[in-house]
Amino acid sequence: MSVLDRIEVKPRAQATAVVQAGVPLLALLAALMLGAIVLILTGANPLEVYRTMLDASLNGQRAIERTLTFSTPLILTGLAAAVAFRMKLYSIGAEGQLFMGAIAASAVALQLPETTPKALMLVMVLCGGAVAGALWAGLAAVPKAVFGTDEIITTLMLNFVALAFMNYLIFGSQTFWRDPDRPVPQGLSFPEAAELPAVSGRLHLGFPIAVAVALLLWWVLKSTTFGFRVRTIGDSKRAARYAGVGVPGTIMVVFLLSGSLAGLAGAIEVAGVTNRLDPTALAIELGYTGIIIAAVARLNPIGVVPVAIFLAAIETAGSSLQSIGVDTEIVRLLQGLIFLSVTTGEFFVSNRLGWRAQAPDESLDDHDLQQAAAEPEATSNPALVGETT
Amino acid sequence: MNESVIILSLASAVVAGTPILLAALGEIVAERSGIMNLGVEGMMLVGAVVGFWCGVHTGSLTLGLLAGGFAGLVLSLIHAVLAITLRVDQTVSGLSLVIVGGGLSAYLGAAGEVPLLERANGVAVTPLFPASFADLPAVGPVLLGHDVVVYLTVALVASTAWLLYRSSLGLSLRAVGEDPAAADAAGLDVVKIRYLSTAFGGFCAGLGGAYLVLAVLGTWQAGLTAGAGWIAVALVIVAGWRPWFALIGALVFGVLRGLSFTLQIAEVDIPSDFLAMIPFVAAYLVVVGISASPSRSRQIAAPAALAQPYFREQR
Repeated sequence: MSVLDRIEVKPRAQATAVVQAGVPLLALLAALMLGAIVLILTGANPLEVYRTMLDASLNGQRAIERTLTFSTPLILTGLAAAVAFRMKLYSIGAEGQLFMGAIAASAVALQLPETTPKALMLVMVLCGGAVAGALWAGLAAVPKAVFGTDEIITTLMLNFVALAFMNYLIFGSQTFWRDPDRPVPQGLSFPEAAELPAVSGRLHLGFPIAVAVALLLWWVLKSTTFGFRVRTIGDSKRAARYAGVGVPGTIMVVFLLSGSLAGLAGAIEVAGVTNRLDPTALAIELGYTGIIIAAVARLNPIGVVPVAIFLAAIETAGSSLQSIGVDTEIVRLLQGLIFLSVTTGEFFVSNRLGWRAQAPDESLDDHDLQQAAAEPEATSNPALVGETT
Repeated sequence: MNESVIILSLASAVVAGTPILLAALGEIVAERSGIMNLGVEGMMLVGAVVGFWCGVHTGSLTLGLLAGGFAGLVLSLIHAVLAITLRVDQTVSGLSLVIVGGGLSAYLGAAGEVPLLERANGVAVTPLFPASFADLPAVGPVLLGHDVVVYLTVALVASTAWLLYRSSLGLSLRAVGEDPAAADAAGLDVVKIRYLSTAFGGFCAGLGGAYLVLAVLGTWQAGLTAGAGWIAVALVIVAGWRPWFALIGALVFGVLRGLSFTLQIAEVDIPSDFLAMIPFVAAYLVVVGISASPSRSRQIAAPAALAQPYFREQR
């Protein structure tokens, strides 16, 4: 009997508020400590690193604007993951859907006449991105709803296809997305009408839009029949079927909704920040980071907003680390560690661990088992009951 | 397309397929015991960075590969603790390995006085058989011109297949993956078997990553697996959790991955970005095709208890 078998898991009946709030904070602290260990092992000073990061992301208006700007696509990919994962639909496709959204939004921005009124232009650009994201999600959603195809694999494969396609449009061909006047491959700049207006300094209109989408999604999941269906399927597919919920239909809708959110993220990023189709600026794992955000936010759309801002702060701080000789890749490691420790922490929110006084069934032999099977209620050994029921 | 191009592409397919095959074999064993570890991509990357570091400092291919394997194993144990002991959702836990592995490997590769990024591969990879063997027509370059790892991987396929289907350990392992409650009642240590299978899977993935960087690519670059780990996860499904089918599948993926090189020689004009898509499009189509096929036999069905945590008290 190994030591591991002696670990006993006891579900908590109700997690207190202290546990609910304290565990994620402890998990965050644990992630920062693990990151500090790696930093020390590679010869860096973790205190200096963390202080520099805090400074670069939150000190002063410009730093905050930069952080909020960067959080905008992350809020949307976080929502894309949250709504799908809430239904236990493991779509990892936000990355590719975001690319497709950016490609379509750029197409709209470059093809509509430059004289199109700004408001109309922007609506078309953002809608184009959302529709493209939804369609790309459909390539995984239809097989999932019809055949039950594993969506993890299909969405992932489609991410790589979308990335290669986006690279092709700028680096591998002479399409209208590419600026013909430049020798170095680069996307063609959008007309002024397709640029999202700023709300404060560098922060563009995309941020309030993303926050509004989060609020809307929260309300939809909490207060509508559709939201109830999603939550029911997420908790038990079988129960949902008995209750008359059309499971394949809901899978389709949620998948497409998730795809349109990721596509919108791509559209807002090109219309608000890059103002051209820029594969290098887009392929920075915004989609995958969304999964971390959704998990840390416990799949709650409102929770997604602060978590996205927090991860954006870490990420915007990354570039400042070069001045103290630490590679920016530490940012991705920290994000991964936060994901890992918060995931582990979630377990401790709903369970607690204990030690078994004695290994449960080592003493059992065939005789005991037969006896127990013959008279299960008469036995007084709780381990034995567990063994036969 | 002439004959020598075909031979060249097959030869490169064998080498390109080997890391994917190693990772897929490990994942088959883990999934057969009921543990789905989606972290293959992360374990390969960490195996690659540690293996490359060790290769650069020792000049030994063997030590580099072993170090990579152990790095993958250590990372897989995180998944084992989360998925087996703490019964965290295996999808979420596996994904976290991908992100942690990606970040850790990228950081380690860029850290230090002279980062791995700027190091040349100091490891000599030599063919197992004398050069005269490789000169044999057709068979030579395709089958006999490779390093020892390629042949050991084929041997690993054979021994994994034997272990799964012909040994009592394999029977126990499959029982645990099909019906852990029954296996437990029959006296098998479900937790131990699942831990060992997951660790084996991690070792194989790390080994595959180390082989990829040391023998196939030769230089370190962040994210150098470029989806190879995910292809391996898809390959497990495509192969129906069977080692020999994984070998065939890995060869096919190897051919598809090498297509850009082959077609360039053959002077076929297809944009390289589209060629890069091919393995992923193929994996997508095959996975959808398998799930859509009406004649899905019991043989290629997933292990019944795959990704389901086992908790004796809740049985």
